[in-house]
Amino acid sequence: MRSSNQLHAAVVELIAHDDARIKYSTVQNWYPGDKEGTGGIYNFVTKRGKCLGKNSRISWTQVETGSAITWKYPSCILQGENSVGEFYSVAVTNNYQQADTGTKMIHMGKNTKSTIISKGISAGHGQNTYRGLVKILKGATGARNYSQCDSLLLGEKCGAHTFPYLEVNNSSSQVEHEASTPKIGEDQLFYCKQRGISAEDAVNMIVNGFCKTVLRELPMEFAVEAQKLLGVSLEGSVG
Amino acid sequence: MLEVRNLHAKVGNTEILRGIDLTVNAGEVHAVMGPNGSGKSTLAHVLAGRESYEVTAGEVIYEGKDLLKMPPEERAREGVFLAFQYPVEIPGVSTTYFLKAGVNAIRKHRGLEEFDAIDFLALIKEKMKLVEMDQSLVNRPLNEGFSGGEKKRNEILQMAVLDPKLAILDETDSGLDIDALRIVANGVDALRSKDRAILLITHYQRLLNYIVPDYVHVMFDGRIVKSGGKALALELEDKGYDWIKAEVELAQPTIA
Repeated sequence: MRSSNQLHAAVVELIAHDDARIKYSTVQNWYPGDKEGTGGIYNFVTKRGKCLGKNSRISWTQVETGSAITWKYPSCILQGENSVGEFYSVAVTNNYQQADTGTKMIHMGKNTKSTIISKGISAGHGQNTYRGLVKILKGATGARNYSQCDSLLLGEKCGAHTFPYLEVNNSSSQVEHEASTPKIGEDQLFYCKQRGISAEDAVNMIVNGFCKTVLRELPMEFAVEAQKLLGVSLEGSVG
Repeated sequence: MLEVRNLHAKVGNTEILRGIDLTVNAGEVHAVMGPNGSGKSTLAHVLAGRESYEVTAGEVIYEGKDLLKMPPEERAREGVFLAFQYPVEIPGVSTTYFLKAGVNAIRKHRGLEEFDAIDFLALIKEKMKLVEMDQSLVNRPLNEGFSGGEKKRNEILQMAVLDPKLAILDETDSGLDIDALRIVANGVDALRSKDRAILLITHYQRLLNYIVPDYVHVMFDGRIVKSGGKALALELEDKGYDWIKAEVELAQPTIA
């Protein structure tokens, strides 16, 4: 197809005032380049949000399956008291794709809360990176964060990398981080096959199960689309 | 239904099955017993098509077809079922979803119409009674956080739903307390039928109090060294495996 690369550089800014809620969902399947990693989109995106008002909330939900390279860090400044920031992400890389994505949650206001759920799936030579910052400022009394970063590896040549930065400057805050890197095992695949399920369907099922906590945050019509996209992106990744 | 002839198999460089002969007909229940490391579980996995075992000699004819030529999913669709000793966890995928995918893959293979959600729920609900399972368990992620007993009941539920011709139960009784053992064993016993053959792999005779086998085979060192009726299981319980070992060693003196 196209051997040169194209650039997509978008900027999105969100501001939530008192009691406002914003949910911003993205499903991205730009051209990822061919099997050898030639061509494809460079998807370099700026996305940032400010919870300015009291009790405001911003939720970023993204499913990234396309592009040769993705750099994207949808972030929240949690300024208003009791404001909430959320980041739910699924990123899939196959062949020679790279995804470097994550979020910054900057807690300024009192009793602010953030949740980060990131699921990275790597196949082929794909590389997946979670890069994130949770920053609790001095005045953010009672701030709380929960982060979960899971990576799923399909095959021997792919990679998963996790860089979760935490900066906590208020002793009353609570910050939790969990991470796991399972590999789709022979055991899981054989179990599925023994019930009559083909290898391809089995991988789909396991991957969708892995992403479930993120996919259920998507609007319904997106969720169906996203599930199918995951399947298409990983086609042929397991013998 | 199943004809195993001179089956040899190895993992890596270790030969584990060293010439298995076994004939199983529809309607029969065969128990395969034997000490740890005798090759019982390997036999179960080789029949189900586990890729990590390499068959080096022999043949397996199942319903007139060469079983060893089929990939594992095709064996399943042809009616071979393995109840796992260690059922595998699949996070985020419920038993209901998993089993519906399996049953429909099998139905499609047989040229039957696939079940929709409503038909399938009716089916699974009926089969759940057999192993005294409730709805909440089948809606949870498959085997994740299940107790030992729940995992084994779930295996038998899957057997009931998939309705196999040949069911191989790999130490389904291991790790069960008395109550769970009774539930699981009664479930299996209720699934006996003239069209189905069951191969029970077990260490202990206690399972055979609930599921009375037609034949009992003793495996030792990769071979079936003794076969008999249900009385053989009782004799083993009584005397342990040592007398079998002694008998085998007498019959086949090892080269010093």
